[in-house]
Amino acid sequence: MSLIYRRRANQPSFTHVLNDYMGEIKPFVKRINKKRLLIPLVVLKSIEWSIYRWYKTPIRRFYGVKGNELIYMITKRCNEKCAKCGIWKTPEKESEHIDISIFIDCLKTLHENLYQVTITGGEPLLFKDDVLTIAEESRKHDIQLITVTNGVLLTEEFLEKYAKLKHILVISIDTLESEKWIQFRGNDTFEKAIENIKLAKKYLGDNFQIQSVLASESAPDIPKLKAFCKELKIKHVIQPYMDFGGVWNVTKTENIPFKEFSCAARKNICIYPNGDVVKCFDHRRIPLAKEPLGNIAKEDIIQILCKKRSTEVSKIMKTCDFPCKHMSCNVPEIVYN
Amino acid sequence: MSFLIIPCYIKTNWDIDCLNRLLKSVQNQTRTFEKVYVIDDSSPLDYHLNFSFVEHIKLSKNGGPAKARNIGIDKALAENAKYILFTDHDCILDSQWNQNMTEFLEKTEFGAVGGMTHSYGKTLYDYYHDINGTLNGKWLLPHRKELWYMPSLNFGMKANVANEFYFDERFPTAAGEDVDLCLRLRSKYKIGFCPKAKLWHDFGYKSTVTGFKRFIRLFKKYKSSSATLYEGHTVLLWDSSESIYSGNAYEFNI
Repeated sequence: MSLIYRRRANQPSFTHVLNDYMGEIKPFVKRINKKRLLIPLVVLKSIEWSIYRWYKTPIRRFYGVKGNELIYMITKRCNEKCAKCGIWKTPEKESEHIDISIFIDCLKTLHENLYQVTITGGEPLLFKDDVLTIAEESRKHDIQLITVTNGVLLTEEFLEKYAKLKHILVISIDTLESEKWIQFRGNDTFEKAIENIKLAKKYLGDNFQIQSVLASESAPDIPKLKAFCKELKIKHVIQPYMDFGGVWNVTKTENIPFKEFSCAARKNICIYPNGDVVKCFDHRRIPLAKEPLGNIAKEDIIQILCKKRSTEVSKIMKTCDFPCKHMSCNVPEIVYN
Repeated sequence: MSFLIIPCYIKTNWDIDCLNRLLKSVQNQTRTFEKVYVIDDSSPLDYHLNFSFVEHIKLSKNGGPAKARNIGIDKALAENAKYILFTDHDCILDSQWNQNMTEFLEKTEFGAVGGMTHSYGKTLYDYYHDINGTLNGKWLLPHRKELWYMPSLNFGMKANVANEFYFDERFPTAAGEDVDLCLRLRSKYKIGFCPKAKLWHDFGYKSTVTGFKRFIRLFKKYKSSSATLYEGHTVLLWDSSESIYSGNAYEFNI
């Protein structure tokens, strides 16, 4: 499927509809042996196509296969100024930050379809109470929660409560050298972060992980980080660098082969701090997805996901071949109930 | 050790005729079924079956074809069935249908199997369904080595697979529940295609002129289930597939 520009946010273009129609009709016509029946059969096929395209059916219920991941960018605000990331440069205003109850309603509505909830940012621990509220709600529905943090704002009180809920916490660090740390993070928080890593390991055990971003700037530090994690028996995850407004560079040594798999981001339901819903935080690469699919503060999440454009975007993601498909959130991993 | 499950909801005399016609074709199988269950989903019409080999189970409350099939699966598993096959009351089996379906499951690693479905009638709509592959399975592209899904009217599963993957009883009608089952089943097993296992499905079109409404109703019913499927299978639903018809039906030789 080609990437086709939209005319309006919620409506695919005429070209898009035409392409869809021709994509159905052309292979069908090849199947017709009785040429005298060509026209009536094409008419019938067009009717079938129209029914599937235009006939509106009520949403009867939410069916429960746990195939989706709900990713909540709880805030764009951050206590650090990492060079690898530019999200902190555009913090949301207070009026653009939805109340936690709206997200919780969304989680409750979707829970039958979720195998995982991920909280990211910005720095999620600027909203510790909200993170714990989400953690409690996720546990009620037996859904795994992963919180990704820079680790600086962790406290024993938070860890104690978080550990009881048996969720996963990920701290993102890219170096163990204090001087480089300041370059990477923009703040002298090395000592505090390392102290909190040890604290997190103590409270969370195997539910604690460290994540590093592989870029040309951090590549020399990755082996040292690996060894550090091995020594402390902490699971270490490496993510390739992606441009989210940062100023780092993709490492040449990274050389990730383009694997023959489709981007799995269409399993994801991503929520921005203001409640905007997208299928992928990198959605602006897809013209049809330049605008969010909806906003959970204004519409029901199911209504948003059942919009025609939502399924159109999912279709396009099937053939997405952007580098971001290598990120862990976009690699196919489906958990069934 | 293959068991046949036929869910049915009998509303008219035509449905009764269809069911009797199907059971005659079941009787004429070259390889007989260990057991044949006709699960009546609380039909409004009273009727009697004159086939001694049939275990006729009448449900007290209408629960949809998924529930009826699950009741059949439970019974078959309780009697140590090895292979569980499914068809619908408006089908007619080829005399070697059971032999081909069961042999396929016996000799291959596939967890489930689908056969080749032809239209029984001779109207334009029947011809349309034949070349459209409306009630045939879909090849999983690009390799065409396994099926993306197979409609439950010409379908079979190994007992261990059926034990793990039941039909979802929340599907109220005969639309979407088979697609849903296949999508879940494919997370662990593969569905093979056996073109030799033929059956004919009677869509019930009386003529090309009078059948139009029925044609529209059929696709509206299928579409009505798709919203439900979109919600549950946002990932797998968009795997590329191609409906099977006589022009692309072949047995992938593993």
